[in-house]
Amino acid sequence: MTEPLLSIRDLKVEFSTRHGQVTALNGIDLDLLPGETLGIVGESGCGKSITALATMGLIPDPPGRIAGGRIVFDGEDITRAGARRLRSLRGADISMIFQEPMTSLNPVFTAGDQIAEAIMLHQSASKAEADRMAVALLRTVGIPEPERRARSFPHELSGGMRQRVMIAIAISCRPRILIADEPTTALDVTVQAQIFDLMRDIQQQFGVAIMLITHDMGAIAEMADRVAVMYAGRIVEKGGADAILDNPRHPYTRGLIGCIPVLGKEAGGEKRMPPLAEIPGIVPPLHLLGQGCAFADRCPLAFDRCRAESPALEGDSHKVACFAAEMEAA
Amino acid sequence: MTTETLLDVRGLSVRFAMPRKSMFGQRPVLHAVRDVSFSLRAGRTLGLVGESGSGKTTAAMAAIRLAAAQSGSVLFDGVDLRKLDAEAMRQRRRHLQVIFQDPYSSLNPRERVGAIVREPLDLMMPELSRSDREERVRELFGLVGLRPDQMALFPHQFSGGQRQRVSIARALATNPRLIVCDEPVSALDVAIQAQILNLLRRLQDDYGLSYLFISHDLGVVQFICDDIAVMYLGQIVEFADRPTLFSRPRHPYTAALLSAAPSLARRKSAGYIREGAVKGDPPSPLNIPAGCAFASRCPRVQPKCRDERPVLRGNAADSVACHYPLD
Repeated sequence: MTEPLLSIRDLKVEFSTRHGQVTALNGIDLDLLPGETLGIVGESGCGKSITALATMGLIPDPPGRIAGGRIVFDGEDITRAGARRLRSLRGADISMIFQEPMTSLNPVFTAGDQIAEAIMLHQSASKAEADRMAVALLRTVGIPEPERRARSFPHELSGGMRQRVMIAIAISCRPRILIADEPTTALDVTVQAQIFDLMRDIQQQFGVAIMLITHDMGAIAEMADRVAVMYAGRIVEKGGADAILDNPRHPYTRGLIGCIPVLGKEAGGEKRMPPLAEIPGIVPPLHLLGQGCAFADRCPLAFDRCRAESPALEGDSHKVACFAAEMEAA
Repeated sequence: MTTETLLDVRGLSVRFAMPRKSMFGQRPVLHAVRDVSFSLRAGRTLGLVGESGSGKTTAAMAAIRLAAAQSGSVLFDGVDLRKLDAEAMRQRRRHLQVIFQDPYSSLNPRERVGAIVREPLDLMMPELSRSDREERVRELFGLVGLRPDQMALFPHQFSGGQRQRVSIARALATNPRLIVCDEPVSALDVAIQAQILNLLRRLQDDYGLSYLFISHDLGVVQFICDDIAVMYLGQIVEFADRPTLFSRPRHPYTAALLSAAPSLARRKSAGYIREGAVKGDPPSPLNIPAGCAFASRCPRVQPKCRDERPVLRGNAADSVACHYPLD
């Protein structure tokens, strides 16, 4: 088996809030292999973005802190790395693109300058060389007239072009990991498709491993090799993308797949599509989590044991944390 | 099922004058909606689909006179809404309601949700006694899946999905015939989306409501709409019933939207490559190209497309504005 590039073990992240100490991540185990795309999926508040921020060493402390576990990148535990070491990792080895490209670009610098800044920070390049590389990167990410666009300010670019600039910055130092946190949520559908296509091209060209955070099972199908489904700070199901999509075992995963109105085959004639599966209720606030499975209150299969103890993630390549699924399999 | 036409929009155009660029310059004109016609059958759902800036919301708001149109007619139940005086229009409003996208900004944070839902009754049906109105609010809370004891709470005490239920209850209060749903689920989490979509469909079946449903999400549209108008840069480029649009799209833009929409069938493991992807961004509505508005992004573009603007042609089941439609 290939050595993972990034391996997260038993990661715990806590935040102090006005409701006291809450556990935002509760024992996360994840591996990212070189060149693959790992999808992390779940509703808002389930801990997807916190996982990404922890990997970047960007958990705001205070109020947050890494309370336990390891994040090992290429043999080095980065939860113990100092601020200086983290700065040299970020952007160079691990980089990230965010949901809203307008707020993650600096409005008073041109697109070219912002790409060149990343290059000069991590590579020994002169300003002129960095500017040339910035134009080449803009061409790589499919921006027409890259020389002219390098001199544009963020507000002069469309949402799709801004996200392309973000990707150009992120890949400027040939990182080995690209973390994409809902990279297309703020974009129109046709532009969303362009960005996904670009991310796939870049992965093929540079062999970068992608951690894709999304709430969209359609994006998972198109983009991911493997998937982790998160709920209330834990991973509830993990496995190959096809296994998860075709044979989901956790009731939450089943709900997530069933509740999304994705394009389907027309039944023909006037016949409508059947009602969507519903997951009743909402994600519980973290400070109200009890002893049992966090999903028990919304789960159609919950029984007494689910409310008393929390199931562990078990299985070989397709893992699930659910007592009912275990009984189903037995 | 009845096929009586409830809303018939003909030749609707909306323009906005933008601020001058310089003191003596001309005011640029934004053509938000250009000569749009569609009709909605009673008890059915018509989807207006398009990307941001396509004019879908403006077209719907102009149809119910919440935005001022420059030309065109809007027949609602046979009466042209654009010709009514203010008081007559106000009387009609009880039949026309709206559910907005953002359940956070569309509810008054200082009012109790019971009062929010009661307000349309206070304004439109003052003939009802106070206790009858309260009773109706209680009933509405039940219909949308809220508890009557929640009537005294404020909007911030609810989750996004529950707030959207409050919006739906408010829209239903006066027993309207038409509800404009402006992206009602796009601000909600996926699991909550499903609850609201199922609720909207159930209410339609129970009360014979007609929806004008604005969305950019083709999965949602396929779930809830009977007929669909695809808009691009202020015009309808394809109008079709649901089975036709989703099984045989004819406009290259419709095909591009379909190939861009998420689907569980497209798998990375199977080496999926997108077909019919479009390049670039839509042109600006301030500077509309002479020919087909989609020409600059169209994978099938011909010289004629850049010079001559195509018009919507076809029958009631499927019409398309394209010189070279797909078969």
